[in-house]
Amino acid sequence: MKKSLSLVVTVSMFLVILLSVSAIAQEEIVLWDITTEAESELPVIQDAIARFEADNPEYTIRHVPTSNDDYKTKLQVAMGANNEPDIFMSWGGGPLKEYVDAGKVMDMTKALKQDDWIERFVPAGLEIARFDGNYYAVPITGMRAVLMFYRTDIFEEVGVEIPETYEDFKDVIVQLKDAGYIPLSLANKNRWTGSMYYMYLVDRIGGKEAFLNAANRNGGSFASEAFVRAGEVIQELVDLGAFPPGVNGLDEDQGQSRQLLYADRAAMYLMGDWAYGLIKNENPAMLENFSFFRFPVFEDGKGDPSNLVGSPGGNMYSVAKSSEHQEAAIEFLKYLSDETAAKQLVDLGNLAPFRGVEEYLDDPFMIDIYNALNNANYVQLYYDQYLPPQIAQAHLDTIQGLFGKTMTPEEAAQMVEEEAQKYFNEQ
Amino acid sequence: MSKTAKIIVILLAGIWLLITLYPFIFMLQTSMKTNMEYFTTSVWAFPENISLDNYLTAMNSGFIRFYLNSLFVTITSLVIIIISASMAAYMIAKIDFKLSNSVFSFFLAGMMIPIHITLIPVYRMTQTMGLYDKLTGLIGPYVAFSLPISIFILTGFIAEIPRELEEAAYIDGANIFQIFTKIIFPLIKPAVSTVAIYNLVLLWNEFIYALVLISNPDKWNLTLGLWNFQGQYGTNVPMVMTGVMLSVLPLLLFYIFLQEKVIKGMTAGAVKG
Amino acid sequence: MQKVSKLTIFLFLLPALLIFSLYMVAPIPLSAFYSFFRWKGFGERVFVGLSNWVELIGDGIFHKALFNNFKLVFLSLFGQLPIALALAILLAKKTRITDILKTIYFVPLLMSSVAVATLWSNIYDPNFGLLNMFLQTIGFENLFIDYLGNPKLALYSVIVAINWRYIPFYMILFLAAIKNIPDELYEASRVDGASKWENFRYITLPLLRPTIINASVLSLVGSLKFFDIVYVLTGGGPNNASELMATYMYKNAFNSLRMGYGSTIALALFIIAFTFSIIFMKVTKKGAK
Repeated sequence: MKKSLSLVVTVSMFLVILLSVSAIAQEEIVLWDITTEAESELPVIQDAIARFEADNPEYTIRHVPTSNDDYKTKLQVAMGANNEPDIFMSWGGGPLKEYVDAGKVMDMTKALKQDDWIERFVPAGLEIARFDGNYYAVPITGMRAVLMFYRTDIFEEVGVEIPETYEDFKDVIVQLKDAGYIPLSLANKNRWTGSMYYMYLVDRIGGKEAFLNAANRNGGSFASEAFVRAGEVIQELVDLGAFPPGVNGLDEDQGQSRQLLYADRAAMYLMGDWAYGLIKNENPAMLENFSFFRFPVFEDGKGDPSNLVGSPGGNMYSVAKSSEHQEAAIEFLKYLSDETAAKQLVDLGNLAPFRGVEEYLDDPFMIDIYNALNNANYVQLYYDQYLPPQIAQAHLDTIQGLFGKTMTPEEAAQMVEEEAQKYFNEQ
Repeated sequence: MSKTAKIIVILLAGIWLLITLYPFIFMLQTSMKTNMEYFTTSVWAFPENISLDNYLTAMNSGFIRFYLNSLFVTITSLVIIIISASMAAYMIAKIDFKLSNSVFSFFLAGMMIPIHITLIPVYRMTQTMGLYDKLTGLIGPYVAFSLPISIFILTGFIAEIPRELEEAAYIDGANIFQIFTKIIFPLIKPAVSTVAIYNLVLLWNEFIYALVLISNPDKWNLTLGLWNFQGQYGTNVPMVMTGVMLSVLPLLLFYIFLQEKVIKGMTAGAVKG
Repeated sequence: MQKVSKLTIFLFLLPALLIFSLYMVAPIPLSAFYSFFRWKGFGERVFVGLSNWVELIGDGIFHKALFNNFKLVFLSLFGQLPIALALAILLAKKTRITDILKTIYFVPLLMSSVAVATLWSNIYDPNFGLLNMFLQTIGFENLFIDYLGNPKLALYSVIVAINWRYIPFYMILFLAAIKNIPDELYEASRVDGASKWENFRYITLPLLRPTIINASVLSLVGSLKFFDIVYVLTGGGPNNASELMATYMYKNAFNSLRMGYGSTIALALFIIAFTFSIIFMKVTKKGAK
C-alpha cells in the first residue's frame, strides 16, 4: 500500500515536472526581421538563436523573416491589430518614432545602461533610435556608406581621373559619354536609388544644416535654395546624358543597374557599400577593376567633403512594449550583439556597428569603407529613414519627376515642403 | 473563304501564337543558362548546355513545400466555394422570396470591393479566431472573395434549368434538399467546373492575403515562395526564370491533360447568365 | 409550385452569406468609419471630420489615378474583348491545329501576377530586354524605346502586359459560347446564301450578346480595382504616370502610414466601381428589351 502510494506520488511528481518543463519549453519569443535567405546575415541570426536557446532551454525563438518591401506592410498590419511580435526590426529614425509615439516600443535605456551594454555599440548607431533622450532599439547590422563606385579600367581607357569637384565630375561625365559609355548607372524605378544623388547634392551644396533645419523645423525648409539647386544639378546631369536611357523604369531589385556595369556599358555607380557584397557574389571577376571615390564637392558649397550619406546602423532591433518576455528578449539581443556575432558579421562583409570591429577587418576594400565612415564628420541618414513616412513618400515621389524632367526643381522642392507642413501642422 | 481572308486569318493566328508562345520559349531557354551566359550571349541564343541545375537548386529551396501548401488551401477553399455558392445560387435562381433580388445584388456588389481595404479587418479577425499563421486561416478570405463571381456564374446557369424537372421530382415526394443534391447539382456540373477553374487560377496565384496572414516560411504558398525566391536571386535572371517556370508548371500540366474537360466545362457554364 | 419555408431558404443562403459578410462586407463600413480619422493604422485615431474627403476631391494624383483607371477600362474593353472574340472565332472550327493553338493561347492566364510582371520586366528592360533586342535584330539599331520609364508610355506598356494575360480568359468564354450555337442555324442560313460575314453579323454576334455583356462587366470591374501587375511592374511610376486608384490607396495606407486617407480612397473606389457597373448593367438590359 505504502509502496503503491509512493509510486503514485513519484509518478505524479514526475508528471508535474514533465508538464512544467514542457510548459516552460513552450515559452516562445517571436522575432520578425528582413533576414530572409537572400540576406547574407541570416546565419548570424540563426547562430545567435541557437546559442541563446542552448543557454536558455525554457525559451524558443521563432524567427520570421520577410522580404524588405513587404515587411513594412506586414509589421504595420500587425501593429494595427495590436499583435506586434516580441522582437521586431526597423531602420530606426522616422518610422521607428511613429511606433514609439503609438506606445508600441519598449524603452531600452535602462537595459542598455545595465552592465554597460551601451558601451558595446558605436554611439552614432544608437543615436538613430534615440527619441527624447531614451533608446528604443539597438543596431545589429552594418554601418552603411553610400559611395561612388567606378570601373578603374574604363577610367584608364578613357583617360580620366577621379573628380574632386563638381566641375571635374561634369568633365569626366562628358568624356565618358563621348567614349560611348553610360557615365552613371542608376535604376530609378525604386526611387530611393535616385534619392541618393539628391541627398548628396543637398549636403554638398547646403551643408548638413540644410536638411536638418528643414526636417526638424528649425527655421529650415525643403523648398530652400539647397534643395532647389540639388534638383537643378540632377536635371543638368540628365541633360548631359549622364544616366542610362530609361532610367526611371530600371529596377534596382533586379540588378538592372549592375547589369550595365557587368556588360561594360556603364562606368560609375552611386550605391550603398552593400553593392560590394552583391558584386562579389554576382560577378567577382569585375572587382579587380573596381573601386570607389567620395562624392565630389561644390566650390561654393557648404558641405564638408568628408560627409557621407549612409547609416550608422543597418537593421535595428526593438522589443515590443506588449511583449511578455521583455527580459529574455533583451537577453537574446545581447547574444546578437556579442563578440561571436560581431566576428561573423565582419566575415560576411558587414561592418557591424559594434566597438572594436576594425580588429577583425582584413579585406582591404572593407577597410577602405570603414575608414571612409570613420573619417566622416557627419553621416547623413537616408531621408526616407530619417523622415516620417508621409514626408519620406512625398520626397521619393518627386525623385522620378526630377530624373524624368516631368517636374521642375522648384515644384519638387515645394511639394515636399507642403507635405512637411501638412504633417507637422497635424501633430 | 476568299484567299485574302484566309491569309489574314493565318497571319493573325501566327502573330498571336508568337506573342503567347515566345515569352515561354524565352523563359525556358533562359532558365537553362548560367548567369554569366545570360549577360554575355544574345537573348535569342540557345543555352550552351541543356542543364537542369537551376531547376534542382530551385526545387531544393522549398518549392515542393510551397506546392503542397498551395494545393491544400486551394482545394479546401474550392470545395467550400462550390458547396456554399451553389446552395445560395439555387435559392436565388429558383425560389421566389421577397429578398431574392437584394441578396443577388448584395453578392454582386462584392465584386467591386478592393481587397486591400479588407486587410486590416481580416487580419484582426483571423487573429481573434486563432487562425493567424495557419493555412486554414487563408480559407475564409479566399472563399469570401471568390463567392460573388461564383454565385454570379452559377445563378445564371441554374436559372436556365427547366422547372419541369424539379416539379416532377417534387410530385414524386422529394424534398428540397433531395432536389438540390439529386437533380440540380448534377445538372450544373459544367458551371461548377467553370467556377472551379476560374477560382483555381486565382487562388493558386493569390499573394496579398497570404503575405499578411502567413508568416512562417513552412506555410508559404507558391506566390510567397516565388516572391522570396526572386528576392534571393536578384540579378540572376536565369534563376528567377526557373522559379517562374516552376510556379506555372503544375497548372500548365493540369491544363494540358484536362484541356478538353476545361473547355467543355466552360462551354456549358459560360454562355448563360 | 413547391413551397419552401423561410427557414430552409435561410439555411441554404447561410454559409455563403456568413463567410461573405464577415470577410468582405464588414470591412466596408469599417473603412467608411476610418475615412473620418487621421490614423496610422496603429496607435491613436484622431477624428478629422470630412477633411480626408475634401483632400480627395482636390487631390491631383487621385484624379490622375482615376483617369488612368478609365483608360484601363477603355483599353481592356476595346482591346481584350475584340481580340479575344477574333481568336475565339478562329478556334471555333475544331481541327488538330486549333486544338494545339487553344492550349498555347490559354497559357498566359495560368501565370501568377508576380510571374507575369517578372516576365514582362525582362521583356521591357530597355538595355537587355527582349523587345529592344528584337528591334535591334531587325535593323532598328538606334531605336531605343523606354517602355516603363517614359511617363507617356508606362501605362500603355503595363496595359499590354495586362491584356496579354487576360485575353485568354475572354477567349475561352467566347469560344465556349460560340460552340453552344446550334449548327442548324448556320446551315439554314447557308441555304439562304448568306456570306460568312452575314453569318457572323446576324447569327453569331446576336447570340453572343449575353456573353459579351457578362465579359464586359467582368472586365469593367476588374479594371477599376486593378492592382497587382501594375504594382509589381512600375509601382505606379514613374512619378505617378501609371498610378491606379488601388495602387494609390495601397501606397497611402501602407507606405505613408495614412490609413485614414487610404480608407477614403478605397471607399471612393468602391463607390465608383459600383455606380459604373450598375449603370452599365442597366443600360445593357434596356438595350436587350
